[in-house]
Amino acid sequence: MAQIEIENLGIRYKKPNSDETFMALSGITHSIEKGLFVTIVGSSGCGKSSLLMAIAGLTPYTSGSVRINGKPVSGPGPERAVIFQDASLLPWRSVLGNVRFAMEMRRWKGEDLTNRAQRYIDSVGLAGFSDYHPHQLSGGMRQRVNIARALSVDPEVLLMDEPFGALDAQTREIMGEELLRIWSRDRKTVLFVTHSIDEAVFLGDQVIVMGKNPGRIKDVIKIDLPRPRTNAILDSDVFTEYRRVIRHHLADDMASLQRLESVA
Amino acid sequence: MSPAFLERYRGGFFALFSFLLIGLLWEFAVSANWINPLFVSRPSAVWTQIMAQVSSGELLQNFSISLIEFMIGFGLAMMLGVALGVLAGWFRTVEYALDPFIWFTYAAPLIAFYPLFVANLGLGAPTVIAIAFLFALPAIYANTLSGIQNVDQDMVRMATSFGAGRRDIFLRVALPASMSMVVAGLRLSIGRALTGVVVAEIFGATAGLGYSITYYGQQLQTAQMLVSLLAVVAFGVLLTQTLAAFEARLDWRSAPGT
Amino acid sequence: MKTHGRIFVSSAAVAIFLMAWQFLPTLGLVDIRYTSQPSSVFKTAINILLNDNLGHHAYVSFMEFIAGFGLAVVIGIPVGIVFGSVKMLRQIVDPPLMALNMMPRLALLPILAVWLGIGMASKIAVVFLGAVMPIIVNTMAGVRETDARLVLAARSFGATHLDIFIRILLPGSLPAVIMGIRLGIGRAILGVVVGEMYVAEAGIGFQIVTYGSSMRIDYLLVYTLLIAGFGYLLTSAARMLENHLSTWRPL
Repeated sequence: MAQIEIENLGIRYKKPNSDETFMALSGITHSIEKGLFVTIVGSSGCGKSSLLMAIAGLTPYTSGSVRINGKPVSGPGPERAVIFQDASLLPWRSVLGNVRFAMEMRRWKGEDLTNRAQRYIDSVGLAGFSDYHPHQLSGGMRQRVNIARALSVDPEVLLMDEPFGALDAQTREIMGEELLRIWSRDRKTVLFVTHSIDEAVFLGDQVIVMGKNPGRIKDVIKIDLPRPRTNAILDSDVFTEYRRVIRHHLADDMASLQRLESVA
Repeated sequence: MSPAFLERYRGGFFALFSFLLIGLLWEFAVSANWINPLFVSRPSAVWTQIMAQVSSGELLQNFSISLIEFMIGFGLAMMLGVALGVLAGWFRTVEYALDPFIWFTYAAPLIAFYPLFVANLGLGAPTVIAIAFLFALPAIYANTLSGIQNVDQDMVRMATSFGAGRRDIFLRVALPASMSMVVAGLRLSIGRALTGVVVAEIFGATAGLGYSITYYGQQLQTAQMLVSLLAVVAFGVLLTQTLAAFEARLDWRSAPGT
Repeated sequence: MKTHGRIFVSSAAVAIFLMAWQFLPTLGLVDIRYTSQPSSVFKTAINILLNDNLGHHAYVSFMEFIAGFGLAVVIGIPVGIVFGSVKMLRQIVDPPLMALNMMPRLALLPILAVWLGIGMASKIAVVFLGAVMPIIVNTMAGVRETDARLVLAARSFGATHLDIFIRILLPGSLPAVIMGIRLGIGRAILGVVVGEMYVAEAGIGFQIVTYGSSMRIDYLLVYTLLIAGFGYLLTSAARMLENHLSTWRPL
């Protein structure tokens, strides 16, 4: 049994200020094995974030099922942790306090929270910054705190929703490598949503390409690049080929959008 | 004086400059007989009166009385306003139930009830305190409630994703996050409480700055009146600025994602 | 659904309050001289409508309100625009304005009464002073906050200063101006009432203080509720206007 099993998942949203509904996701079926780093890529509106939120248990789904370790998802759970694009750090707490927050919410027992938090702060490369407050940190540093916080509750599955989306291009590249370094230690199952094709191919063992209207899986591409990976492989031929395939998929969506607009 | 020093206190320098300018214009306008000094007095006369009232202890006496009335009234409003705001933030029913009464406290001219207060509490401090309390209460309550309800939804979602229940979110996220709005409410209520003290003293007291303003005003002793008036303004500005500075410090700690 | 719950609880709370208010005095638990009863208040309200010369007093108060408030708008908005547009002026004027804002305008009542007499003039002055401050302050803020980028864009198209003023600054600051007006309404109403309570020959405030001193709480309450209701109507209207104007405003 795969760790994450999605079967015929659908999410229907009600449009604001109207009685109409629209299908954000339809007929999503996929299985994800434990320890895989899966990236999800697609143009805006394809429902990739909705899919992640459904697996996280933060958005209800209207049809089909999602199971984690065989149990259906009905809300947030201790085996999953979410990393959002907005780090949402509590401004009145220090870095240490923020990393402790998740463990406090989960009523973590069995180890001194401060020591444990400190370990994770060190592991994301922020040793020495424990007493800093969020407003003193750069965007990249805040995301590291975000990651440390999520890892501190020992989730089996990490769900990441465009975590580097708000960072500048250089920081993004660095964070990508950092993330892989941190991930390679424990090899947790990761679902990583992005709209950057490069990021998706660079990070993932598997890329789920999504299409829209309605949101669905267009293709799943296995990435056969060796690990550990550095940003140098972005220039390789293999990488370029993956990029081309995915862009081709996404171009369909862009083209249909243009056709719609020219008719209207 | 280094340029950095000048830059930092730029606001203060401008304020000083502008008050001096106004003072000079005022003095000049009265000297040149453009304005009748009977009604607005002149800075020189006011200064003389300030000295007189300070040395006679009159200013201190009036100020102390009004200050105590303000502190107690405002203090009570702060405690009850924040407590009710927190309760209303947690129990939706409390919020809905309190709504019409808070509105009444805001919209109705509460000073109209001063005969009731005088009948029950007598002329003087208790009445003034009661009215100042009622003037200040609604804004403190409203700002506290608003601070709790308008907490950043991203933070709430983050906490939820880690399994936080309603109680956790209220105590560990909403309450700390609302601090800066609570302080803003306090700052905004200073003016209202001060107005309450002064107006209540005009109608229902025999001592204090508001009473002094009435007493001298009625006799057209404008300079003496202005001493008390300026004392009220100075106190209000000082307190507001202190709270604003405190608020600014809280802001960088509370502002999400900056 | 949520709104229905809200109205239900609020109404229930008021209903419970009214019942307690009605029955506690009847049971002798509360002194009726101090609190009156809803039934008396209701009867008195009818009485006031029919017999108490309400028209005259309401007219006087309303006139004082309109005159003072109108003056505040007519003078306050242009002054606010001027102060808000010229940076140097704004920086000089800010501190004294803030100080004036801290001054309870009602404190000037005694001297205004001596200066302008017990007739309508003194009340109009108090209303003006009360309302003009929020109007000036908010108008200034509105002008200052008008998106500098819009101004820059207009200038790049060759717009003259006058053009920018009329086509961008004025419409851009309108919501803030309306908010200033809304805030001024409350002060203005308080000015009329308290002014008339202090010294007057007629008006709602005059009635309030007359009945108050003879401890006719039922009359006091009716007039107080009248004022509250009037204030509510005006501020609601202003708020609706503000919301309507703000719909195009990028948040």
